[in-house]
Amino acid sequence: MELLTSFGFEIVDGPEIETEEFNFDMLNIKKSHPARQMHDTFYVENKLNLLRTHTSPVQIRGMLKKEPPLAFISGGKVFRKDDDATHLPMFHQVEGIYVDEDVNFSQLKDLIYKIIYSLFGNDIKLRFRPSYFPFTEPSAEVDILSKEGNWLEILGCGIVNPVVLNNCNIDSNKYSGLAFGLGIERIAMLKHGVTDIREFYKSNLDFLSQFK
Amino acid sequence: MKIAYSHLVQHIIQNPSIEEISNSLFQLGHEHEIDGDILDMEFTPNRGDCLSINGLLRDLAVFYTIDLNQEVFTDKINELQIDFKNLSKNICPKISFLKLEIDQVPKTYKNSLENYFIDLGLNKNNFFTDISNYLSYETGQPTHCYDASKMDGKFLFHEIKKNEEFETLLGKNVTLTGKNAVFTLNNEVINLAGVVGGKSTSCSEDTKTVIVECAFFQPESIIGKSVKYDIQSDASHKFERTVDPECHDKVLRRFINIVSRHTTIKDMSIISYKYKDNVAHQIPINVEKINQIIGINISEDRYVNYLTKLGFGIDEGHIKVPAFRSDIRTNNDLAEEIARVIGYDNIPSKDISIPKSHKTKSKDIENKLRYFLLDHGFYEVINSPFVGLSSDEAIKVDNPLDSNRKYLRTNLTDSLLDNLLFNERRQKESIKLFEISDIYSSNDGIQKKRKLSLIASGRVGLNYEDFSKKINIKYLTSLFKQLIPEVVFDFQLLTRDLLDTKIKNEIISLEIDIDKFSNSILAYEEISNPPYNFNEYRPISDLPSSYKDISYSVKDLSKIKDLQDLLLNYENDIIKDIFIFDYFVNEKIEEIKIGFRCIFQSKIATLTSAEIEAVYSDIVNQTLDIKGVTIPGM
Repeated sequence: MELLTSFGFEIVDGPEIETEEFNFDMLNIKKSHPARQMHDTFYVENKLNLLRTHTSPVQIRGMLKKEPPLAFISGGKVFRKDDDATHLPMFHQVEGIYVDEDVNFSQLKDLIYKIIYSLFGNDIKLRFRPSYFPFTEPSAEVDILSKEGNWLEILGCGIVNPVVLNNCNIDSNKYSGLAFGLGIERIAMLKHGVTDIREFYKSNLDFLSQFK
Repeated sequence: MKIAYSHLVQHIIQNPSIEEISNSLFQLGHEHEIDGDILDMEFTPNRGDCLSINGLLRDLAVFYTIDLNQEVFTDKINELQIDFKNLSKNICPKISFLKLEIDQVPKTYKNSLENYFIDLGLNKNNFFTDISNYLSYETGQPTHCYDASKMDGKFLFHEIKKNEEFETLLGKNVTLTGKNAVFTLNNEVINLAGVVGGKSTSCSEDTKTVIVECAFFQPESIIGKSVKYDIQSDASHKFERTVDPECHDKVLRRFINIVSRHTTIKDMSIISYKYKDNVAHQIPINVEKINQIIGINISEDRYVNYLTKLGFGIDEGHIKVPAFRSDIRTNNDLAEEIARVIGYDNIPSKDISIPKSHKTKSKDIENKLRYFLLDHGFYEVINSPFVGLSSDEAIKVDNPLDSNRKYLRTNLTDSLLDNLLFNERRQKESIKLFEISDIYSSNDGIQKKRKLSLIASGRVGLNYEDFSKKINIKYLTSLFKQLIPEVVFDFQLLTRDLLDTKIKNEIISLEIDIDKFSNSILAYEEISNPPYNFNEYRPISDLPSSYKDISYSVKDLSKIKDLQDLLLNYENDIIKDIFIFDYFVNEKIEEIKIGFRCIFQSKIATLTSAEIEAVYSDIVNQTLDIKGVTIPGM
């Protein structure tokens, strides 16, 4: 977060218990999208609310409150119905969004290079490949090249879908935006060679003492 | 989805290698792994149109010259007389049926049909079902084959909302619940639409007359069904991602062609029901907008050329989106098409400068608290929010992963107490943990509080200065006075009465709202300077550990730090930990007695005595080199 605030982003916070409207609708995630299913998303209070599946709704709330230009980052816990060596029902994300006039994909690439170089050093090799997220278009995933020569997915990003800007009362003919999101545990696993995500949450001092 | 390289390359004039095709597919955003001659594809959910040989070739056409060379039956076909009614046209706006009667069921397959099974290592079923499966692979359009001899009666498509028993063609019994789009015959479900057909009307090796159903189903009516009923289905995978609504005639004529190359067709008839016209979506040509979105500068000619190769039409200043690309609606969608063709890695990056902003106050306070606690030997933990019922105000999760943990926790201390006991069971003598988290409760609406909780027990620290001191309320009170002199914190002494442990150390806890901390905390100057530098992670070994103690006598008191630094920083692959376990200062004779415990553990195999002894001797030799340090009795 300190790295991103040094780039100019402002930290925004939001609730972990969210509505379908902010977690899905406002982000152009259709009613039929599989992520909304009970097997992917935790619902609470008889489906009245849900545990946020990403930190994007925080940015939606931020965009509704502030006019462009704006640059937000939101970090925190997110929840999905997974539980294995590489997925947990709770994990952490950091997402960023920058909305201004004439924000484009070339600038997004520059920002991503700066973030990855700061995290992994200037010698790291990375690549962009097309992907799909309902809230960005074009969308990309970014891989880094491991020491063993394997490409490893590190973050998702893209140009904010104009539908999302319009949902937040931002004129998409005048403004455009870029967005990115990364999983903290995934970054930590790649950076430090941790193979089982569950180690982060056992509170084992043998584990914790290695990261102090 | 597995696709054989040979099935693709036979249609590509340039005859590229599998590596060249792989690179092209990667640039286009189609992730895959290569296994011999097989491309194991993983498509993004918006690209259902690529789930076939022809679909992939449509995308590859932007780089290569494609010759599909797939023959179809072109003669006029009689209209099928069938007693069929569609009662849910909104779910199924287009459906076609083809009826075929053949002379003999062929014993062997030819050409591409045979290659499909051999190259992909698939099992054959029966003649008509095998063609149906192959055509789904070739064209992306699933079809379903009914044995026509079993299809007498009232044939309906409709959405039902009642519990129905249904046996799939693979013999799995399913109880349909809730809303389901189905085909019924004489009121019996014979097909869970878009997912799997039923056993009662399925084709067999003897089937000579078939009714082939070719439909378009709205994805919303199919999504979730295969997961709900635990049915693996290629058809539902495709229908969930949208199929081409305009392909029915071509697919069924291709079906006839393949049948005719294997046996004599005695009779055929076809009918197509179309309840809604598919109007091509159009987007005005605006290359400036595309250049603005990507940050490039391509000409309109180049832009139009790329889209034409991808199957888009051009009509009076508009881009006409082909029926199979239902994912394309806006200029941003088209910009992604162009960016894919250029290659994301080939788009130059342009310097970005975001105006500086200020961090929020609450995070600064939180971070100061973090640094303060880390500086004083605490470790930050993060616990799962899911617990058994802990309070009447706990929020219930409708669909928990574990029915024993179906509530959100209403305090942090309970989790920290579990963490403390976990570490005590691992012989940790100094345990100081904290957690910062939101806590939610239901009390006249959802209430959110951000809390700090800490728990501590055992020795203050494992260095020679803190080793003899025990953690208690006095220690923590005095510690926090350093940070905020004006506030008295309500530390709690937790009872061990109900805990399954023989350890007697006091357990001290604190749980407090973050907003109780004021800005005065911002004056704290952290000792550690984050981000911390840490070594390469050492996996925690499950192999047995053993320990050896070394007791030193230190007569030159100035050397105690040298001794401690040497031991606490000693590194070896089989040293798991070294810490002080005994410390005594005899001021009369100016001597310190200090004991270190060395924990040995390997990541690879159980250690032998000789391996332990070798490292132990090295430690002893190095420490005895320090002047004034002896080991009594040695």
